[in-house]
Amino acid sequence: MMPPPDVEELPDYEPAPATLYRLTRAQYQNCLRDLLGAVDVPADLEADTPLHGFASVGASELTVSPRAAEQLEAAAFAVAGQVFGDAERRQALVGCDLGEAGCVDDFLRRFGRLAWRRPLSGEEVGELSALYAELLRTLRDPWRAAEFTVATVLQSPWFVFRVERGEGAEGQRRYSDVEMASRLSFLIWNSAPDDALLAAGERGELATPAGLETQARRLLADDRAREAMRHFFGEFFLLDRLDGLTKDRDVFPQMSPTLGAAMRREVEAMIDDVVFGRDADLRSLLTTRDTFLDAELAALYGLPPVEGPGHQPVHLPPDNPRGGLLGTAGILALNAHNTVTSPTLRGKFIQNTLLCFDIPPPPPGIPQLSDSEDGPETTRQKLERHRSDPSCNGCHQFMDPLGVSLENFDAIGAFRTTEAGLAIDARAVFEGQTFEGPRQLGELLREREEIGACFARRFFRHGMGHLESEAEERAVRDLIDAFRASDHRFQALVVALVTSDAFRLVGEDE
Amino acid sequence: MRPLHRRTLLKGLLGGAAATVALPPLEAMLNLHGTAWADGSPLPTRFGVWFWGNGIRREHWTPDGEGRGWQPRAELAPLAPHRSHLSVITGHEIKTATHPHHSGMTGIMTGARYHQNGTTRDTIVTTFARPSVDQIAAAHYEGQTPFRSLEVAVCRFWGTDEGTTFQHLSHNGPNNVNPSEYSPRRVYERLFGMGPAAPQLDLARRSVLDAVMGQITRLKGRVGARDRIRLDQHFESIRAIEQRLGAPQAACAVGEPPAADYPDLDGREQIAEKNAAMSELVALALACDLTRAFSVMFSTAGSGVIVWPAGARNSLHQMCHDEAAPQPTVHATVVYTMERLADFLNRLKQIPEGDGNLLDHCSILCTTELSEGNVHSNDEFPILIAGKGSGRLKGDWHHRGRGKPNTSHAVLTALRAGGVPAPTFGDGPGLVGDSIGELEA
Repeated sequence: MMPPPDVEELPDYEPAPATLYRLTRAQYQNCLRDLLGAVDVPADLEADTPLHGFASVGASELTVSPRAAEQLEAAAFAVAGQVFGDAERRQALVGCDLGEAGCVDDFLRRFGRLAWRRPLSGEEVGELSALYAELLRTLRDPWRAAEFTVATVLQSPWFVFRVERGEGAEGQRRYSDVEMASRLSFLIWNSAPDDALLAAGERGELATPAGLETQARRLLADDRAREAMRHFFGEFFLLDRLDGLTKDRDVFPQMSPTLGAAMRREVEAMIDDVVFGRDADLRSLLTTRDTFLDAELAALYGLPPVEGPGHQPVHLPPDNPRGGLLGTAGILALNAHNTVTSPTLRGKFIQNTLLCFDIPPPPPGIPQLSDSEDGPETTRQKLERHRSDPSCNGCHQFMDPLGVSLENFDAIGAFRTTEAGLAIDARAVFEGQTFEGPRQLGELLREREEIGACFARRFFRHGMGHLESEAEERAVRDLIDAFRASDHRFQALVVALVTSDAFRLVGEDE
Repeated sequence: MRPLHRRTLLKGLLGGAAATVALPPLEAMLNLHGTAWADGSPLPTRFGVWFWGNGIRREHWTPDGEGRGWQPRAELAPLAPHRSHLSVITGHEIKTATHPHHSGMTGIMTGARYHQNGTTRDTIVTTFARPSVDQIAAAHYEGQTPFRSLEVAVCRFWGTDEGTTFQHLSHNGPNNVNPSEYSPRRVYERLFGMGPAAPQLDLARRSVLDAVMGQITRLKGRVGARDRIRLDQHFESIRAIEQRLGAPQAACAVGEPPAADYPDLDGREQIAEKNAAMSELVALALACDLTRAFSVMFSTAGSGVIVWPAGARNSLHQMCHDEAAPQPTVHATVVYTMERLADFLNRLKQIPEGDGNLLDHCSILCTTELSEGNVHSNDEFPILIAGKGSGRLKGDWHHRGRGKPNTSHAVLTALRAGGVPAPTFGDGPGLVGDSIGELEA
């Protein structure tokens, strides 16, 4: 919990070494669809292992386990089988007559370039072509041989991993223009570069910040960017946990199998509206009164039914106690237990996720909590008793006082005024400021410098695919400054990252 | 791969048809006395780990009495029917304990400290510095069965942000994990689903895998040291598929596939049902000699599973911290968990093998990542060894350590009972070279 050092005290900037990135589950699926068109990718794929909050960081550490290799083999044959089982699709993919001289090499050159995100060397084309000939001898059918060759390309380490090594003299290495095409598209689209982006790289147009910005803006305008950023914020806030949200049905009769997913959709739509719909100050996510509700959520919020199917735009009325991210049922329910709220978890979400203030895990030898002997008490009262122990208060003082301000919302995020028959007191004091409820909390947090800095810091980590090192801290500070200078426009943050030295330079191998 | 199983002959007799014939597993593959394989090699011994998260309640766990005269208390009572196959070890301590959950998990599974993944944040993110004990056994058995090891999990709760230590059990090294399969149907399909393929298709698949391995080898020459280790594993993973090509199919009675899905009923996870299906599949995989090393992760380290059949209304991890002493629901959860373990052991026992049963030929380390969840303790560590290790273990014994001995002694005992001639287990303060002689036959 040390305060971050001043910029002057930071070590000199050094770029991170190159690393192989295993495609995340979503990237693998997206790449196959971008490459082959509509294919049914088997669901039997390894789940991502997020590290430091992001699957992209896990992807730079993990490898291909025996089970994963089996799954990747099965998936490669499944999608290749779908394309080659359809006479029109396989003809469109191959684009020539396999029996004609040069067709196989020509196809492998075209398909390999998009699959491996780089032009293939003549030697590589020759090897794949020899494999095709071998498969043709075994299978005695050109289409089957081509199908198996495609399945090979899709199991290759060149497909399963992103290989970005950089080029240039020692101490001045930077990612090649073609590698930059991949770096750009995997960050902004969560998928492989399209032909236009690869071609821009091959023409040397991704060597300058201006060239990178042009392509980044083009990618951001595509719906794939919205999907990719939905993914980023989903990981940031752990929104995928809402799909399987478990809350006690006896305590919460409103809980249904679909409510968790509806909550997720609200938070995602609210973020998408700020980031892409309005390209607004990202901090307004904490205070916005524009949200998206379906029938189930409108009922949970005590609002009139929405008109139309699915989630519809709703402007919260002035007397509504909700507002911003911290007033959504999704965030309130995720950071609560199964039957009761947890001001600690909600406070931890604010400190750890939104403000990047790390709180150590509980120490060994935690004292036993007991129930009060003086009759019922609220969650707040119970926590205050807990905090009277100095060993607990050391950390809980950072979390609980923020979390109690949201006590008017129960463990599924429904509004309430009492708990255990007692009136709820949601007044809170944090660092000298008195406030209550998500609206005032959002206003208060929005003015904190750490909010913008934290978004930028986490996006840096996600985008770089590793835990930021001390030697990169100067680059992180530069990104934070650029984000602030853009009035906290998230799309500007994306452009600032991809045009930064940190995104373009390569350190020496460890 | 074992050169010639009786199973191969069996497949030949059936003319290569899908080998899901109704035979008592293995019986047809044994010699006339039922004490060894038809080719004369001895019956295999298997090693496994059965893991649950968040520990136990000591006052209900530690048995009364020692040696053969031990009497289970409430939390071991569900295992009483299996006491002849049970070694109970108490009084031991993790010697590499520094951090709740993390050091317990890596301490018991590797006998060593965890490897911290990055150092710039206070919230700890760790992975295993060394291979987990199941993989030490897997390395010893490698090449004798189609699958090097099998990893399954039951309760779906998955920690997300404290590193692989909170997400996976089986590790080959730092961030080199063998993720557990959570779907019984997928385990079934993996083990038994592959029908025999036409020889030319196997040949073509082999060409594909060879080409991919060639690409991995060439790429290795272009990357840094850390990435070379990752590509080595990728290579090994592909090689394992290639080695199975053309290998005989399982020749066991495998029955109907399990349900495709176990959806929550009224918002409640079907824990017992999933556990039963997974237990059955692991038992079959062992009976059919598809693998000899396995792990069952009933729940993860620090698991937030809601064990509703035990009366729990909130996550287990939270209850360990919040439920008032003496934590009756946490206790009921441990009892429920041991009932699930008893179900698994029962299925192993039901499968006859040689002149006994499958459990006779297993050594299963049953443990968790800390002693008591409410205080995060690492002493009085809960450890059981189930099975007789093909006669290497006495069974029906409570060994109580004096002076807080190292938990690694117990793990080494289990490993050696699995027929793995490991000279030592662990590293640094966790390192030991002695097993617990009192438990050995």
